[in-house]
Amino acid sequence: MSSTEGDLLHIVTADDISPGRQKLGKFLIWGSAALIVVVAALQVWRGTATPEAGFANWRPTLYAFLVWAVCLCWAQVLIRGEYGKRVLFVLPAALFVGCMVVFPLIFGLGIAFSDWNLASPDGRKFNGVDNIRQMWTDPFYWNAMTNMVWYVLAILPEYAIAFGLALLLNAQIKARKFFRVAFLMPLMLSPVAVSWMIGKSMLEVRFGPISRLARELGVDSPAFFSSPEMARFIIMAMDAWTFIPFMMIMILAGLQAIPKELSEASKVDGASPWRGFWEITFPLMLPVSITAILIRIIFKLKLADIIINVTSGGPGGATDSVTSFIFREYRDRSNVGYGTLLAMVYLVIIVIAMTILMKIADRWMRPKF
Amino acid sequence: MKVELYNAISGAMMSRRKMLAGAASVGALGAMGGMGATPAMADAHSNVRAEILKIPGVGMGSPTDADWQKVGELCLGPTKGNVAEGEFEGVELTFMGLNNQNLHNFLFRGFLKPWEAYTGAKINWIDLAQADYNARLQQSIATGTVDFDIIEMGAPFEGDTASRGLLDEMPDWVKEQIEDDDLVGYLQPPVGTWDGKTYRVTIDGDCHTFSYRKDYFGEGGIGGAEVPSTWQQVNQVTKDLVGKEDPLTGLPAHGYLDPLKGWGGFGMYFIANRAAAYNKHPDSPAWLFEPDTMKPMVNNPGWVQAIQDVMDLIAVDGAYPADQINADPGTTAFSQFLAGTGSMLMWWGDVGSNARTSDSSVVGDVVGFGINPASERRYNAVTGEWEEERNEAPQMAYIGWGVYVTSNVSGDEKRRKAAWSAAAHLGGKDLSLWTSAYPSGFQPYRNSHFQYDEWEAAGYDRAFVEDYLGSNADSYNHPNAAIEPRIPGIFQYYSVAEDELSKGFAGQYGSAQETADAIAAAWEAITDQIGRDSQIALYKASLGM
Repeated sequence: MSSTEGDLLHIVTADDISPGRQKLGKFLIWGSAALIVVVAALQVWRGTATPEAGFANWRPTLYAFLVWAVCLCWAQVLIRGEYGKRVLFVLPAALFVGCMVVFPLIFGLGIAFSDWNLASPDGRKFNGVDNIRQMWTDPFYWNAMTNMVWYVLAILPEYAIAFGLALLLNAQIKARKFFRVAFLMPLMLSPVAVSWMIGKSMLEVRFGPISRLARELGVDSPAFFSSPEMARFIIMAMDAWTFIPFMMIMILAGLQAIPKELSEASKVDGASPWRGFWEITFPLMLPVSITAILIRIIFKLKLADIIINVTSGGPGGATDSVTSFIFREYRDRSNVGYGTLLAMVYLVIIVIAMTILMKIADRWMRPKF
Repeated sequence: MKVELYNAISGAMMSRRKMLAGAASVGALGAMGGMGATPAMADAHSNVRAEILKIPGVGMGSPTDADWQKVGELCLGPTKGNVAEGEFEGVELTFMGLNNQNLHNFLFRGFLKPWEAYTGAKINWIDLAQADYNARLQQSIATGTVDFDIIEMGAPFEGDTASRGLLDEMPDWVKEQIEDDDLVGYLQPPVGTWDGKTYRVTIDGDCHTFSYRKDYFGEGGIGGAEVPSTWQQVNQVTKDLVGKEDPLTGLPAHGYLDPLKGWGGFGMYFIANRAAAYNKHPDSPAWLFEPDTMKPMVNNPGWVQAIQDVMDLIAVDGAYPADQINADPGTTAFSQFLAGTGSMLMWWGDVGSNARTSDSSVVGDVVGFGINPASERRYNAVTGEWEEERNEAPQMAYIGWGVYVTSNVSGDEKRRKAAWSAAAHLGGKDLSLWTSAYPSGFQPYRNSHFQYDEWEAAGYDRAFVEDYLGSNADSYNHPNAAIEPRIPGIFQYYSVAEDELSKGFAGQYGSAQETADAIAAAWEAITDQIGRDSQIALYKASLGM
């Protein structure tokens, strides 16, 4: 009997796999799996019994896992023959994702539901949903969340500006190539450099050139980070300055892909440039726009470096982002359990929000006619 | 000595004429047969001290690895007294320390090279950037992977390490070798000790001192005839200066510069300067927590007064420079005070030195130093009453670096002795004179470091050294010095306090009391999380109670 029955078209040779070979394959899988269990058990035993027992660290368990992974792949060929070889195209990648993404995620969840302050002599303690309860009543976290809503909303004007710039660069203007490179420059700067060059130097209240200019223009004591609204706006502006070029370049690529015939035809039909934009360019650009905005939202949700460098979340938490708050909780306060939970919750919220957004965008972009 | 201070002094004093004069006198000495043979240098100890201060010579450029090795070689005397040549043959030790400004571990390597050659031991190095240090240490402790035998560590971390039995107790012969009775007052036990056991070879000192602008004060000065010596005066002068003009820059004059923004926990030291004066009672070493309960003192009337003082100044338009709410301690020192904004500041030693060397400093000639201002009254936490007594309490912010030996070596007497011998070599009395006089990243910390004659003989400008180091010495040896608790997670308390203070200063809480109550609540939560009973025990141990 062959495992390739019914699928003969795609298989070059029909395998004739002996029962002995199949047995060997199964033995490899279960034998190596048993090895992991034994090695891991020895490791756990060391943690609970004497320090001399078992292994000093988890490295032997890792090696056992690698042995198991190789055996699993090998056994596919032994048991399933040609079909097993096809499985080998995917299986190593799946195992890799499993150990590099899924396992750490599960491990992270374990930490998220623990009370683990690195300074505590008791180490990690499982504490159920206490961290969620703490998060629920943590004014700093919800303040940061509210700020994130403002930060994300700021993407709309950023998008409008980026679209405008892209249209400009798509038009037949002089020195177009120069402007394309020039407008891209801010994107090449590290946000840390931006925070120091602009936030800490140019906007410095005493000697910063922008402050001096403001003073020349009659502002008595220009202060850019004194009021919550102003501080938040400046952070938004610095972030926007860095990332508008990113949206702009995506939109520009989209604009260049629109066939010229369409706009020319609309002109022949007598459409005004304004009408041409709203009826032709903008709808055709929707897929690109949505992609650009979604990617920008993902970037925005990670906003932290500029805030940490320039305001540390102040004044009074007005500029705090979720990431910068988690950074403080984790790095300054070694509060690993709670910090991890905040990050996990944030991840879940992001995944849900992005899924909803993509569904909406999908429905919106479906042809109406 | 901090690099900047060294550059300041050597830069200020070195001129071509002085150098030629120096060269001429050296030539004359050579003609006389050299000083080394004169009976005046009979005392080997003082001879070594004078010798090492000539390496490479004040103002002769930055010392190199060869210089560090020379100093290490000359200071081997005490080691040779306790260790036989080749005694540690085959011993390998791991040393974890910092690599700030290419100092710290880089110096230690040079100092220990002759020690390695003499004893036969070998040292492997783990170099860390300051920013990575805390995380690396905490993770090593939390995951049980302490992979170093000797560690350079700040005293605030003693709570994280000594309290968990991760450190090895100092043998008596080390105490004798390093002459620990020479340490300045505040570095004497209980600092460096836990439960009566000594763990620390001190190699550094730290404290906040008061810097002020001489041109603001004195006869006809816009700040008044006298330099403010109490926080009440500091606040009054700051309010009175509103609307006046800075004599140096012509811009609006300002008084004291409170940093109103957090600084990764370090910002807490600054509000603590004010609070120490109100709250550090001479009868008790405790001023942040009540030792029996770990109940925070941060919301008692003394601390609330300190927060209120700052809020009072925020309420006065123009008392602080614009945007002060976004000024962290780095800004107040380097962007404001040194650049000519404001007239009073509390900071570590760098400000005094940078005042003379930094290109952006305009206050080099007009800066003076003192100790933390006093308070005209003090709060007694035991009686719950204010006492109308003047109270001085300089704050030993961060306490300073030390070298510790971990319990990794405790089981092997040969390795243990080798580790302690290396630590003792680095904290030796003579070698420390060199680190306090040349760029090393370390401040003077022994009484013997304040013998200004030695500095003068080595070629230093006595007036500056006396003024600057004098303020340090006065703070160190003050009978009511405020020393922070060396308990686990102390920077967590500071960090969360910064967040709450930021809200308070931004007007999100109704009052100073409300702000202080919020800090106290957050501190209680941290104490509960780390473990109240263990914190109480450790706090008491750190206070020597």
